[in-house]
Amino acid sequence: MTEPSRWPLGFQSAAILTLDFNDIHGILTQAPAVAGRDKTLSVWRYGTLRGVDRLLALLAEKQLKATWCMPAIVAEEQPELVLRMVADGHEIACSGDMHEDFSLLTLEQQIASVTRGCDKLAHITGSPIVGFRTPAGQWKPGLAAALIERGIRWSSSWRGDDLPYFHPGTRLVELPMHYTLEDEPYFAFNLSPAIPPGQSRIAPYAETLANMTQDFHGFHRFGLCYLLRLHPEIIGTAGRIGLLRALLDTLQQHNVWIATAEQAAAHWQTQPDNDVSHPAEVFTRIIGGAHGEHA
Amino acid sequence: MQQPGAVRWPQGKRGCMALAFDLDGPTGDAMLNGSLWSTPEYFTFGAYGPYRALGRLLDLLRAFELPATFFVPAWVVEQWPQQCQAIIEQGHEVAYHGYRHESFWAISPDEQRAVMAKSAEIFHNILGITACGFRTPSGDWHAETPQILRDAGVIYSSSMRGDDRPYSIPVAGHTPLVEIPGKWEMDDYASLAYTRQPDFPKGGDRIASYAHTRDNWQREFDGAMDEGLCLTTLFHPKISGQPGRILLLEQLFEHMTARDDVWFARCDAVAQWYLQEQQHD
Repeated sequence: MTEPSRWPLGFQSAAILTLDFNDIHGILTQAPAVAGRDKTLSVWRYGTLRGVDRLLALLAEKQLKATWCMPAIVAEEQPELVLRMVADGHEIACSGDMHEDFSLLTLEQQIASVTRGCDKLAHITGSPIVGFRTPAGQWKPGLAAALIERGIRWSSSWRGDDLPYFHPGTRLVELPMHYTLEDEPYFAFNLSPAIPPGQSRIAPYAETLANMTQDFHGFHRFGLCYLLRLHPEIIGTAGRIGLLRALLDTLQQHNVWIATAEQAAAHWQTQPDNDVSHPAEVFTRIIGGAHGEHA
Repeated sequence: MQQPGAVRWPQGKRGCMALAFDLDGPTGDAMLNGSLWSTPEYFTFGAYGPYRALGRLLDLLRAFELPATFFVPAWVVEQWPQQCQAIIEQGHEVAYHGYRHESFWAISPDEQRAVMAKSAEIFHNILGITACGFRTPSGDWHAETPQILRDAGVIYSSSMRGDDRPYSIPVAGHTPLVEIPGKWEMDDYASLAYTRQPDFPKGGDRIASYAHTRDNWQREFDGAMDEGLCLTTLFHPKISGQPGRILLLEQLFEHMTARDDVWFARCDAVAQWYLQEQQHD
């Protein structure tokens, strides 16, 4: 599809590097059965011990700024790492207070988690938090408006597009994700308890790099927004950091705007409202009862 | 029954390729059980197909001058009428795939008839067409289904797996229903789909290599065309219409169109040709 460029300064496409820094709290939410199992938890602690360092070193080497999404509890436990991210010019975004499963919370509880999480992160980093990624689970209707009220300007929690869009009824920018641009579907592994549940093989590194590189070529050709969602404990190993280096090399050889989520969201404020047939608009119309579809 | 190698496809072609896409959007189990309406992230994952991926796919089909069949739940036509009208305008076929991707195995004959009637009305009102094809959503159907389909004006189905060429399913009081069988090997879900909550595949299996997936598909295509067979696909715009994977389809189409001995046809053309051939026997 040939569309006029949506990006500033003549860039053909945009890329956003997001890093989910959840330490053990991400896996505790996803698989509560791992609580108290130190060997398993150490798989996810690896990011804090080693992975973040490698990522920060690579980003410094490539002179790139990333967006680190985290629940406040991780920043409270690892303030020195977070302050290094800030000192290096990276963006810090909020994944709630305790990395709660939002599917189990009421709207009020969701709002409370974001509010507490942002306040704590702002206190640690010394700057207001303007970005949000759902820690786990799903939004309750009304969360978008509440996020805007609390100074959040972007989210990266939903899917549905290859370009940013607005949460219906607000100017909250959504920077949508694709599973294909995440490291976890390719590489996450634990023997017992089984993660992933079918205990499938770790994907071949070379083939995964080839997929992600081809994905980038597609996003770039069509002038879209290539948003990576990576985890320090997964991509930040000695063997895998080279995959990311190679991928970033490819990006930097193209006319792509590599932006933080905040920068991309601020730019998107110059763009028109969603098409009425946009997935987010259709969803909101339906749960609003216009079609009487949902119970 | 024709012997392998004896098949004569139209225009003297050796093999038949019937590209087909299931434009499911966000329909399916989560919509049917209502859980979809509390999972906006999953809804948007599905709605991406008709909203964003379909247009890119239509552009690619046009660039290669390839015809295709789109099996579309009528609910998707209601929500994205302009996008679905573009399928027709560009010369492709739209065929039945339930109203909200109901499993025909799980609903009664009366419910199946109601789904077909409602779908026909929506296709007529929004797309201005009378569809003649059907692919059963979620796999299986009932013993009564062929009769229900023929009563609803359907001449062919592309629902089964067990053969390499079209075949007849007898229906009392009607000409037979033509079956154009598909293959899991040519279903992009089997290689490339991935979601969590609801998890698919169930084991949270890995996304396959694009290059190896393309190699698999090309081998299936070459094998089928070399043997003079009929191959169709179960591709999904939301899965293989993503930016990186549309490049995979582009490479696949380049490979397919490099041969000059293949009849590229919509499924309805395959079915009509097959019915004509049967009359000659």
